[in-house]
Amino acid sequence: MYRKIICKSCILIAVLVAVLAVLSPLTVYKTAHRAKLIQGLYDSDDDYDVLMIGSSHMNGGLDPNVLWKQYGITSFNYATGGQTLELSYFILREALKKHEKPGAVVVDVFYSGMTNPYGESGLLSNAIDNLKLSRNKAEAIFNCVPPGEWPFYFLPALKYHFRWSSLTPQDFNFDLSAYYYSKGFGAGTTRWGKDDATYGSTDRRLAIPQESLEYLQKIVDLSRQEGFPLILVNFPADYTNYNQMDGWVDDCEAMLNSVADFAAERGVPFLDYCDSMESIGIDFPNDMNNASHLNQWGACKLSSAFGAYLKQHYQLEDHRSDPAYAQWDRDYLLSQAHDVLD
Amino acid sequence: MSFISFGFLLFFPVVVFVYFLIPQRFRIYWLLAASYFFLMRANPKYLLLLAADTAVTWAGGWAVARAARKGGPAALRRKKAAAALSLTVAFGILFVFKYLNFFCGLFARALSFFGTSIAAAHFDLLLPIGISFYTFQSVTYVVDVYRGDVKPEKNFCKYALFVSFFPQLLSGPIEEARNMLPQFDEVHRFDYDRARHGLLLMLWGYFQKMVVADRLGTLVAAVYDSPDKHFGLDVLVATVFFAFQIYCDFGGYSNIALGAAEVMGFRLTRNFERPYFSKSIPEFWRRWHISLGRWFRDYLYIPLGGNRCSKPRHYFNLLVVFMVCGLWHGAALNFIIWGALHGLYQVVGLLLKPAKRRAEHALGLREESLPVRFYRAFATFVLVDFAWIFFRAKTFHGALTLIRNLFRFDPAAFVNGSLLNLGLNAPELWAALAGIAAVLGIDLLGRNRDLRAALLSRGTACRWAVYLSAALVVLIFGTYGPLRGAGQFIYSQF
Repeated sequence: MYRKIICKSCILIAVLVAVLAVLSPLTVYKTAHRAKLIQGLYDSDDDYDVLMIGSSHMNGGLDPNVLWKQYGITSFNYATGGQTLELSYFILREALKKHEKPGAVVVDVFYSGMTNPYGESGLLSNAIDNLKLSRNKAEAIFNCVPPGEWPFYFLPALKYHFRWSSLTPQDFNFDLSAYYYSKGFGAGTTRWGKDDATYGSTDRRLAIPQESLEYLQKIVDLSRQEGFPLILVNFPADYTNYNQMDGWVDDCEAMLNSVADFAAERGVPFLDYCDSMESIGIDFPNDMNNASHLNQWGACKLSSAFGAYLKQHYQLEDHRSDPAYAQWDRDYLLSQAHDVLD
Repeated sequence: MSFISFGFLLFFPVVVFVYFLIPQRFRIYWLLAASYFFLMRANPKYLLLLAADTAVTWAGGWAVARAARKGGPAALRRKKAAAALSLTVAFGILFVFKYLNFFCGLFARALSFFGTSIAAAHFDLLLPIGISFYTFQSVTYVVDVYRGDVKPEKNFCKYALFVSFFPQLLSGPIEEARNMLPQFDEVHRFDYDRARHGLLLMLWGYFQKMVVADRLGTLVAAVYDSPDKHFGLDVLVATVFFAFQIYCDFGGYSNIALGAAEVMGFRLTRNFERPYFSKSIPEFWRRWHISLGRWFRDYLYIPLGGNRCSKPRHYFNLLVVFMVCGLWHGAALNFIIWGALHGLYQVVGLLLKPAKRRAEHALGLREESLPVRFYRAFATFVLVDFAWIFFRAKTFHGALTLIRNLFRFDPAAFVNGSLLNLGLNAPELWAALAGIAAVLGIDLLGRNRDLRAALLSRGTACRWAVYLSAALVVLIFGTYGPLRGAGQFIYSQF
């Protein structure tokens, strides 16, 4: 009797799960984040010399098309808005499944300052909803999402089911490849017009929040284990809001000094572009989209400086003369970098 | 813990599995622990009040029974005193947590009427969920012991389970000790067909709540939260929708509760019997929130004299009972007026009964004819729905505004799509109407036959098609999840 009930219950649940799994891609919001993650992680056959991982700061901070145009370096920006450091670790693991030996991996450390145990649900969804079901995705859910919400991330249809009445043709025919030319990059086109109120150097130190520290270490361990060079970066930002925000350290500058110590102790390069804006020519009022994100002009300057750093310190091949990479030239013509540089 | 949570979807199978796994003598303790855990998930502080109410009424029952055994006038006095004391404490807890602020405000207003102005005292008290339900349930025990209808329960834990049994703890049905206590002694073996019956009823309850009630609630809230901004058709549709929202919300809760209990072998009182097919207000109250209606009949209406008294006294009894019934729902003038309206409907109905009979006789109308039945059901629905305005409106003033605006009709509203600006787009609005049709259809079909038995007697393919499609309808069209959370059960606020 019990076996019969358990079997029937399992079949019923399995059928329901299967139907919801089929419906899930339809219900997920069709955003640029979705397109870039699916293209960059699964669909594209391109090889990338450099993988870029991180939050919105990275998303609008490092432009692969600048690296291509100026240095012939192929790269992809896997950053998503609100990507916590924990989530960056799992996104990196997902990217490494297809790109096993990247020439360099660059990770944005700004979210080290988050003290909340979990990131914002909608922002976590930007990334997790677009990962294929795998052990890595399961681990990402178990580690990055509050337990009460786990089922909604395994089966996004449970989360977005209410969209049944507002689905559009785009939900049925979303063209993932339409965004591929940007290689995951997307910066704003506004000029902020204000100075950085928190700009300045300090010797203060503030402990890195424990969970961030744990995942920074995991990322370092992963780089050693998989044998890829790791670079930690921080982008220009006015920390005023973050220093006053609940769920964030109250002295970002001091915490990032601790990140610098952490990196130095482990022999990992840490490029804090917030401290070197002048040397790379970032003019805060003109090169920021808002208080904490570069605009397309600022991103271009920073990407150019970062490309020079890569060329100087890593053996990365220039593919520009290779006909196999002709599509990269065509993609560049569609990019924001093309608008700024040419 | 809410019935609509992943927590409950884990909690319930575990409780059932362990319940059937462990020996009979441990089962009430297991259910008691599960029930307290169920309440604790809402707020651990609530446990203290539940335990206090349980201890006071259990001790009260024993004191009453002990005094009754001795006999004589002194013992009778002690019996009355024991009953009065335990009822005072039980109702006192309810009064403090639910009505104290309301009556303080009322007192201050009364004083200001006589020219003395004082600031109403306000106590920051959290209304413990389910308190109205378990207080009424525990009080029935003391009264029944006092009347000699029930023997005092020796086992405190069994009595505590009677008060706290998790399927009905938060919103009833309000059970009587004579129905529930013997059931805790029954040896329940797992019965596959009974479990299927129970689970089907739970599924129907989830459909009523998540697919119908919460969808209707979106439009209702849009109108009732801003009464001065909506007119005519908006108010009419919202008021009709609220009638079905509250039916599907509370009916859905009750069906989940009944189904959950049935899976384990317990029989709870059915709380709804197609209420919107009632052909009179008294019939409506025999079909709506049946366990509460029964409570008021047995513990207030009949003790007041019921209808075995003079006509004026009978009318007075009706008004008192329904005003108290309104007050039971909430400490606000709106609820009292809602209750008073139902009392008034019945008094007017009784007064007009002879004239109505004469008119029907003169017109040659037969009571059983379909047009007459339809007319009566429609008229009853209109009266009930009008009273719901007071129930749903946030304030008395808001209710009056809505009634006034109801008659400010703009014919353009039928074509300008203003209804689609009330939180439901066109597909959602159609889904809401389809949900109402489904609920009425199932009510109608279930009038003469047991639909669950009929379904379960069908072939596997048919049954599974129904199970799967019903579950998918709830999962896809239901209101739940982190982005569109399920609404709280309306009656859990009472």
